[in-house]
Amino acid sequence: MSLLEIKDLSIEFPAGENTVKAVSHVSFEIREGETFGIIGESGSGKSVIGLALLRLLPANAKVSGTVFFQGQDLLSLKPSELRKIRGKKISLMPQNPAGALNPVLKNGLQMEDVFEGNRAEKKEGMKKALKLMKQLFLRNPEKLCTLYPHQLSGGMRQRLTACISLSFEPEILIADEPTKGLDPEAKAGAVDIFNKIKTEYEKTMLLITHDLDLALEVCDQIAVMYAGEIVELDLASKVLSTPLHPYTKGLIRAQPRNGLVPLSGQSPSRIKLPEGCFFHERCRYSGFECSRKHPEIKNYKGGLIRCHFLSLK
Amino acid sequence: MDNAFADRLRKKSFLLPEAYGNEFAKRVFQRKDILFALAVLLFFIGLALFAPLISPYDPNAIDLKNKNLNPSEEHLLGTDYLGRDLLSRVLIGARTSLSIASGVVLISLFLGTAAGCAAGYYGGIVDESVSRVIDIFLSFPGVIFALTIMGVLGSGVFNLMLALSIVHWAKFARMMRGQVLSIKKQEFVLSAITGGAGDFYIIRKHIVPNAIATLLVLATIDFGHVILSISTLSFLGIGLPADVPEWGAMLSAGKEFMRTAPCQTIFPGLAITLVVVIFSILGDGMRDILDPNHEGGEIY
Amino acid sequence: MKYFLKRAGFMAFTVFAVCALTFFLMNVIPGGTAELILKHTLVGLEESATEEQLSQISSRYNLDDPLYLQFFRWVKEAVLRGDIGTSYIYKKPVLYLLALRLPATVQLAGASMALAIVVGVSLGIYSALRENRISDHILRIVTLFGVSMPGFWVALILILIFSLKLKLVPVSGYGNLENLLLPAAALSFHSVAAVMRVTRTSMLETLGQEYIRFAKAKGLPVWKIISRHALKNAMLPVITVIGFQMGSLLGGAVVIEKIFAWPGIGSLLVDSISARDLPVVQGCVLAIVTMFLLVHFLVDMLYTHLDPRIRYG
Repeated sequence: MSLLEIKDLSIEFPAGENTVKAVSHVSFEIREGETFGIIGESGSGKSVIGLALLRLLPANAKVSGTVFFQGQDLLSLKPSELRKIRGKKISLMPQNPAGALNPVLKNGLQMEDVFEGNRAEKKEGMKKALKLMKQLFLRNPEKLCTLYPHQLSGGMRQRLTACISLSFEPEILIADEPTKGLDPEAKAGAVDIFNKIKTEYEKTMLLITHDLDLALEVCDQIAVMYAGEIVELDLASKVLSTPLHPYTKGLIRAQPRNGLVPLSGQSPSRIKLPEGCFFHERCRYSGFECSRKHPEIKNYKGGLIRCHFLSLK
Repeated sequence: MDNAFADRLRKKSFLLPEAYGNEFAKRVFQRKDILFALAVLLFFIGLALFAPLISPYDPNAIDLKNKNLNPSEEHLLGTDYLGRDLLSRVLIGARTSLSIASGVVLISLFLGTAAGCAAGYYGGIVDESVSRVIDIFLSFPGVIFALTIMGVLGSGVFNLMLALSIVHWAKFARMMRGQVLSIKKQEFVLSAITGGAGDFYIIRKHIVPNAIATLLVLATIDFGHVILSISTLSFLGIGLPADVPEWGAMLSAGKEFMRTAPCQTIFPGLAITLVVVIFSILGDGMRDILDPNHEGGEIY
Repeated sequence: MKYFLKRAGFMAFTVFAVCALTFFLMNVIPGGTAELILKHTLVGLEESATEEQLSQISSRYNLDDPLYLQFFRWVKEAVLRGDIGTSYIYKKPVLYLLALRLPATVQLAGASMALAIVVGVSLGIYSALRENRISDHILRIVTLFGVSMPGFWVALILILIFSLKLKLVPVSGYGNLENLLLPAAALSFHSVAAVMRVTRTSMLETLGQEYIRFAKAKGLPVWKIISRHALKNAMLPVITVIGFQMGSLLGGAVVIEKIFAWPGIGSLLVDSISARDLPVVQGCVLAIVTMFLLVHFLVDMLYTHLDPRIRYG
């Protein structure tokens, strides 16, 4: 059964007199225990989705659609109800661990934040959190709690934020670009961490990343996003080994081990989106229809795809 | 220099030159608040320039029969304790304040830029000594410093300009030094140095043009401060000779009659406030362009 | 500790340099000092002054020595015996005059500083939390005028309203709390506005940081986010500005003390400058600079205490 159901989610930001369409009409669902990946270039709107689920976007963002979690629409919950879900039932693993840790507070205090409001819970929770830290390859967690964030290495900060996000044993973990800006060694560490979270804790995860290796390693299902839309959605193995959408093909070809063939051109302006398929200007298979009519998302061989040329493949 | 106080003094001025020259001017003219403030400022300057033509009365004409009047049709802002028309005096006072402040800002700008350039560009012992002098000048409340200098020099327009310039140059020097240090690291300066350009050429062609926007912002903000200093010193009776019409001095003379004729206290002060507000809006607006604030998220 | 000593050294050097600057400045126009002293000795009998009396005074005060010798002697006396001279006019030790006036200035500046911090910081936070709403706009206009109004005018307007019209507080005087109200309000007006401005900006900047978003994602309530995560970071630039405001408060005190007949160092300084009473001017300058530097020293200590990145840097 599905734990989180996102229907027709659209997000816009005002920019001067225009509006930037960051995400348009995105729908997907995440089943219990599965890891759902969203991949795409930076600026494709994937991080915005993660933040929108917990309503963490700036106040000027216009969000429409519904996000159902345990029978409640997260987008229309009261703030006090929302706080009971944030960090406790759905938690966020932030994009940039260095920025997500408050530089003037000790690490321990920042872990306790999650248990705020309940003394007994706090004590019990911190014990569990310390155990969790050990399991996530952090040695000497008690000492770590008395240090400040700037005294940790990048990889340690990464693991610390992972611990903070997991310490309340949430039902869903949203990981936003967990490998962005990490060096290769720390990246490999991150893959280990996610495998561990997945296999040992059997967590449901939403993994937002541009790192296809991580996605292949960890995800069960993958949605590919382009210009704020889902263009392909299927099992991870299928999407990454036999991609159907020309954009997904391009993404895979751009990987270093596949010859580093970059996609030509740039993502379209999000203030004035092109007519027809958003990808047609960069698409090597683009035909007459592509520049006229915007393709709908369609079922195809068990997955979903947004392209006019299904029949050719 | 490695103590935190001095470091902070310098960091405070460390604006990276993000928008210069034409780009800066273009953005300035896109902002409505800046354009509005500029328009009002031009209006004030016009009033000051044409004060003798606009004023209904001679600002120094004594008329003891009509002293300490409240506003009426003949005297729109009333009269002072010698029966002089207050509107005419406030108008002519704009001349005094604006011209002296322009002088002070220009002198400080010149001195400060020169000192800051020397310190930032040459570094080493030059920087050490200039920075030390700047620190000392900045660790002394400005008004008190100016007061002490005026005590020595005696009142007078030139002396006032000199005293305030001695106080204000250090701010410009600190700012300029920071600017030079950051500009010096840029590629185009490095390539000019490698190309064998002379020091003076580099300062004139590369460093000053790139620092000009930042200096302009500081000069604008400082203009308001200088006007406040001028009026404060005159108010204390230490700034200008009694026969020069100046807002602070008018206030000081008028405060004796505050109970019965409060206009003499209210209007000159209002004039000072308005002019300084205009410079604050201008300075803040331009600083926003150079150093835009981060956007804040809402909390619920 | 090493930092502490360095800092003290810098302070001592600055005090010394400022004293030297004042000393030579006050003696730029040579001569006249002996006549001045004589004038105040023989009040009403100036006509009878003789050359002999003048030279007697000159030799007693060592006025014929070169300036650097006079300054050297002053420093020696000050350091060895704590004697910073005798007033030419009052014929009393400068230290005694300062001790008489210092409490009033400390009281006035202290009260104003407290007002600036309490009112400025709380209104600044309020304004930031209500960004771009009506109350924020009103407060911003008030601060714009607050930093632009000359202190003496604020003082006179306050007198006009509260003393002359409403007759709530006395026009001048010293000793009671009701005497302190108007001068402190007038003196702190500018600083309140300045502190409020920087608090608002800095608070807004802090609220946009990633660790605030992460704190929200952890499910912390608003007041906890502000008190625990935002306040400490937002206060760092505010503390710096408060240090600088001390300078403007001490400068402003000169005028405010004059208006309210407040028996502090500021009014002593103005009177001594007009009378060219060099030793007293010197003493006042020494006292004011020392106060200013001490406040900056405290501010630095506080800053280091609040920001662990500096402490462990």
